[in-house]
Amino acid sequence: MTAPVPYLQFDAVTKQFSGLHVVASPFNLVVPRRQFVAFLGPSGCGKTTLMRMVGGLDTPSTGGIRLEGAPVGGPDRRRGMVFQSYSSFPWLTVEQNIMFGMKYRRDMLAAEKHERAMHYLKLVGLQDFGASYPNRISGGMRQRVAIARTLAAGSEILLMDEPFGALDAQLREELQVELRRIQAEDAKTIIFVTHDVEEAVFLADRVIVFSPRPTVIRADIDITATLGKSRDLAMRDSTEFFRLRTEILHMLRDAHRAAS
Amino acid sequence: MPAQPNGKPPLAWMFVFRGALPRGVRFAAGAGTALLVLALWSMAAPLGWISPIFLPSPLGVLTALWTMVTQNNLLTNAGISIARVWVAFLLSAIMAIPIGILMSSYRIFGSALEPLIDFIRYLPVPALVPLSIIWLGIGEETKIFLLWLGTFFQLVLLVAEDMKRVPQEYFEIAYTLGAKPRAALTSVALRAMLPSLVDNLRITLGWCWTYLIIAEIVAADNGLGFVIWTARRYMQTDQVMAGVFVIGFIGLATDQALRLLHRRLFRYL
Repeated sequence: MTAPVPYLQFDAVTKQFSGLHVVASPFNLVVPRRQFVAFLGPSGCGKTTLMRMVGGLDTPSTGGIRLEGAPVGGPDRRRGMVFQSYSSFPWLTVEQNIMFGMKYRRDMLAAEKHERAMHYLKLVGLQDFGASYPNRISGGMRQRVAIARTLAAGSEILLMDEPFGALDAQLREELQVELRRIQAEDAKTIIFVTHDVEEAVFLADRVIVFSPRPTVIRADIDITATLGKSRDLAMRDSTEFFRLRTEILHMLRDAHRAAS
Repeated sequence: MPAQPNGKPPLAWMFVFRGALPRGVRFAAGAGTALLVLALWSMAAPLGWISPIFLPSPLGVLTALWTMVTQNNLLTNAGISIARVWVAFLLSAIMAIPIGILMSSYRIFGSALEPLIDFIRYLPVPALVPLSIIWLGIGEETKIFLLWLGTFFQLVLLVAEDMKRVPQEYFEIAYTLGAKPRAALTSVALRAMLPSLVDNLRITLGWCWTYLIIAEIVAADNGLGFVIWTARRYMQTDQVMAGVFVIGFIGLATDQALRLLHRRLFRYL
């Protein structure tokens, strides 16, 4: 009997960069389709590098990343990025930014692209800001633009590099609820890199806790088993949420102590 | 000083360290300084502070300007100078933009060209006048060459720097949306660097005027530099000053026009 091909697989990945071991020991992980995974860990633990490898923006030194069994090469539309800053183009309006996601698609007519842009504009709640330039809208809205653009491009995997890291606490919460809703409506696989424990627990189906150097998985926690699929702000006050948060915080603290 | 109700001396609000100032006050301060200088200048000769041969009155300069326009082909000479500046400037820009982009896009070009450019960039243009006359004579080629020399090597490094400052994220966004490197360069990088590029072109155009006058003084029989230099020979201080002011006004007008263009083009900044 053959095992089913995993959706996204890190297969014994290591990374050296100019003599420095970013990911020293072989890293293995399987992410099923439509799972929302948070990579949680301190800065410099290699989590961003691993995520960028999925996007084809970095290449493993040894080992490989497989998507449905096929090794991933350079970047393409299937795997979209949402960065913390410079996430949208300042010279394009919100609508044009979303349209840019489909600029290099030859399989769609202009009218189709426009309709799709409108759909995603609405999905992220920016229907009234289509004609605004990014400097006229809030940082939270700019991140929504980036999410809509990536979805409009037709990416099946969203790679998010601390996308809400520069936002204030209120906006951050709001965006987290939104992102969870968007993922429920337009099911995508998401790898979300963060160093915020609460953010990881609230957003993700599964949290991978990283140890700082060498990059090893300290814990692989199934959040959905405890909190369920749908999340709302009230959940942040629940004992289950609190217990998960504390447990992970202690893990990070122990890992930090062991490393220093 | 009479104390105000709040205990602060009057006008203290104008002198707040790094403080804000109403638009009207800022304008008045600028206009006031200009008028003060104009007043001092007008009074200098009549009050006997200085001989009018060395400092003709503002009115005298204006009269000289009028004579130059109506009798001495000032406008033709100004046109010739403007044409020289633009030809050399465009030549510099057309060469510097692609080379600068290439230098910051491919390390090999940057490493190969930077030391040479850095060396030439520090050669003072006036010192190269004799050499360029030996090489190119005293025709238009010398003037264009000198202006190009003074601007190209500076501009190419500025362009390379503009390109380098385009955030890596923009390229990576484009790649993950399916753009090939060439498309990322044309539809993202060039667009991203455009505001600072236009700014650097504006500054470079200003430098062209400096080098133009040097070139026209040493090797020309027309143009504004030639007009000024000829007037000096006959001690026509009023005409010398009028010529200098014409250059100032052309520079100011071009600069303001380009600034306006910048604001219009890049409203999103």
